[in-house]
Amino acid sequence: MLGQERSRSFTATAILFLLPAVAFYVVYMLLPIPMSFYYSLFKWDGISPTKVYSGLSNWDEMLHDTIFWGALRNNIVLVVLSILIQLPIGLILGVLLTSRIRFVKLFKTVYFIPMLLSSVAIGLLWKYIYDPTFGLLNSFLRLIGLQHLTTGWLGDPATALFSVIGTICWQYIPFYMILFMAAIVGIPDELYEAAKIDGASDLGCFRHVTLPLLRGTISMASILSLVGSLKYFDLIYVMTEGGPNHSTELMATYMYKKAFHSFEMGYGSAVAVAMFAISLIAAVAVMGVTQYDARAL
Amino acid sequence: MLKRVSLILVGVLMASLIVGLESIGFAAEKKIVLWHIQTTEPATSIIADSAARFEKDHPGVKVEVVPIQNDPYKVKIKVAMGAGTPPDVWISWGGGPLEQYVRAGQVLDLTPYLKKDNWINRFIPAGLDLAKFNGKYYGIPVENMSAAFIWYNKKTFNDVGVGVPQTYDELLQIVKKLKSKGVIPISLANKTKWPGSMWYMYLVDRLGSETVFENAVNRTGSFEDPVFIKAGEEIRRLVGMGAFPPGFNGMDWDTGQSRMLLYTGKAGMELMGSWLYATAQGEAPQFAKNIDFFPFPVLTHGKGDPTNLIGTPGDNYYSVSAVSKYKDEAVELIKYIIDDTAVEKRLAAGRIPPVKGIKLTDPILQRVHSAFAKAHHVQLWYDQYLPPELGEVHKDTCQAIFGGAMTPEQAAKEMEKAAGKFWGK
Repeated sequence: MLGQERSRSFTATAILFLLPAVAFYVVYMLLPIPMSFYYSLFKWDGISPTKVYSGLSNWDEMLHDTIFWGALRNNIVLVVLSILIQLPIGLILGVLLTSRIRFVKLFKTVYFIPMLLSSVAIGLLWKYIYDPTFGLLNSFLRLIGLQHLTTGWLGDPATALFSVIGTICWQYIPFYMILFMAAIVGIPDELYEAAKIDGASDLGCFRHVTLPLLRGTISMASILSLVGSLKYFDLIYVMTEGGPNHSTELMATYMYKKAFHSFEMGYGSAVAVAMFAISLIAAVAVMGVTQYDARAL
Repeated sequence: MLKRVSLILVGVLMASLIVGLESIGFAAEKKIVLWHIQTTEPATSIIADSAARFEKDHPGVKVEVVPIQNDPYKVKIKVAMGAGTPPDVWISWGGGPLEQYVRAGQVLDLTPYLKKDNWINRFIPAGLDLAKFNGKYYGIPVENMSAAFIWYNKKTFNDVGVGVPQTYDELLQIVKKLKSKGVIPISLANKTKWPGSMWYMYLVDRLGSETVFENAVNRTGSFEDPVFIKAGEEIRRLVGMGAFPPGFNGMDWDTGQSRMLLYTGKAGMELMGSWLYATAQGEAPQFAKNIDFFPFPVLTHGKGDPTNLIGTPGDNYYSVSAVSKYKDEAVELIKYIIDDTAVEKRLAAGRIPPVKGIKLTDPILQRVHSAFAKAHHVQLWYDQYLPPELGEVHKDTCQAIFGGAMTPEQAAKEMEKAAGKFWGK
C-alpha cells in the first residue's frame, strides 16, 4: 500500500521534471512537422495574414520541378561521398591515433582543429583557398606545373559540388575520428593479447578484433552521416548559395531560398516536408539493413 | 524570527514583481523600435545620434535602435512581419519587396505626413517614386543615391594606353587590349548574382530603352522581347572574349573577391554601384587615388538614352508599421533620421542623401550627383523592383547566361513563364 503510493508520487515527480523538456521538444521539434505539411497546402508569402488554400498544387509543382530533383540528386551524391570518404578516413585516423606512434598528442590536436571552427569560418577560409586568382589551391597547382588543372573551382558547375563536398569532408572527418577513437579505446586489451598469442599480425588484429567490435559504431556513424547529409545546409549556403545555376543546390538550401528569398512559404514548406519524409525513409532503411542494435553502441 | 524573514522575502518578491512589470511595458514611457542595416561606421553612429536627438526633444519616448546585417535582415524582417510583431520603424529598398508588404497591409500610408508642412518638398521626386504605390507614399528615402558605373584603374588604363570609351564598341576594344596585356579586363564576382545582373540591366536599357522592361512588367510587353535576348547574347560575347576573371560565378562580392583583383591591378574595370568608391577608400586607400568611373557606354543602334542610370535614388527607405502603437512619434523619428544634421553627417561620410539642395566637395561624388540630376530615367535594380519571387528567377537566369548553362533564349523563356504565372497573364 505504502509502496504503491510512493511509486505513484515517483511517477508524478518524474513527469513534472520531464515536462519542460517535453514541452520544448513538442513545440519546437514535433509540432512544426504537421504544421509544415499544413502550410504546404497553401499559396502563402509568409507575411500576409491571409493564406490561399491551393490543395496539393505545391506538391504537384514540386514533383515537376527539375531544380528540386537536381537538389535531391546532389543530396544523394553528398550522402554517398560522405559515407565513402569520411567514414574510412575517420576510421583509419582513429586506429592510427590509438596505436603507439610518436607525437600522437600533436596529431590528435591537429586533426581535431577543423571540428572546432564554425562552419561559416570554414566556408570563408575555403572560399579563399578556392579563389581562382589568389587561391592557395590554384597557386599550388601552378607551382608544381599543373597549370592545366587550375580552374574556378566554385564557379564551374562541373567542379563546384565536388569542391564543396571536399570541404564538408575536411570539416567532418575529425568527428568520425573521435567517434571511432572512443570506441576503439573501449575494446578490452585482453582480446588483442589473445589474438596476438594466436599469431595474428597487426592487420589481422584490426580485421578480426577491431572491425567486428566497431560494427555498432560504424552503423551509427553511417546513420549520422546519412541523415546529416540529407539535411545538410551550412557550408553550401556560405560557399556557393546553391549556385552556380543550382549545380550545388541541396534540398535544404532550396527550401530556404523558396521560403525566405522568394516569399513562397507554402512551396518551401512542401520541400521541407519532402525532405523530412526522404530522411526518415532513408534512416529507417539503413537501420534495417545494418540491423541497428542500440545495445551494441 | 522565521515569520519576519518570510515577510521580508514576500516584500522583496512583490517589489521585484512591480519593477519587472514596469520593465515589460507597464510604465508610462513609450517605446519605439527601429531596425536598420547600417552596420558599418560612421553610418551606425549617424542613426544612433539621430535617435538620441529625437529622445532629447521628446521626453517620455524611448527609441530602441537595432542595427542588423544586410542579408540576415531580409529574413528577420519577414519573420517579424509574418508573426505580427514588426518593429515600429524599419527599412526596405523600395520597389517590389516594399510593395509586397504594402499589399499585405503591413505598412502605414505616409502621404498625409509628407503633405503636412510640405515635408515632401525636402526630397528629390525620383527618390520618393520607388516607395509610391497607387499614388500613396509608404517609405522615406534616407541613405544614399547610388547607381552602377564602370569603375576603372586610371594607372592600368594609362599603362596600356587606352582612354575612357564613348561607345560600347570602344569598350570591347579596351577589353581586347587589356586581355592582350595579360590584365583581366573586367572584374566580376557573381556568386550573389546581382553584380552580373548589372550588365544585363544596362545592356537592356541601352539597347531598347527603359520602356522594354517597363512593358514586360506591366504585361503590355514580354520578357521574351528580342532586346532581352540580344542583351543575353552580348553577355555571352563578353564571356567568350574572356572579359571576366576565371571562375567568376563562384566568387563573392561580399568577401571582396572581385575587388581584390581591382585593387591589385590584376583587373582593369568593374561595373559596380557607386558605393564602391567609399568601399575602396576604406579597404585600399592607395588604390582609391587611381580610381575613376565612366557611365555605361552607348550601343550602336541602341534606343536607350545614354543618361539613363541603373541604381537607386534612395537606397534605404524607412517605413512605419501599420500596427505600430505610436505612429506619429515613429514618423517624427524618421524626420530626425534625415534632418539637416543627419544630412551633413552623411555628406561627410561620402554619401549623397536624396534631399534637395546639398553641397558636395568630392569631385567624384559631384559627378555621381550630376549624373542623377541629368538622368532621363533611373531604373531600380530589377531584383529589388520585381516581386521577390520574380527577382530570384531573374538573378538565377541571368547567372545561368553568364555561366553558359542557359542560352539567352532559354533564360528569356524561363523569365516570361515565371512572370506569366505570377501575374496570371
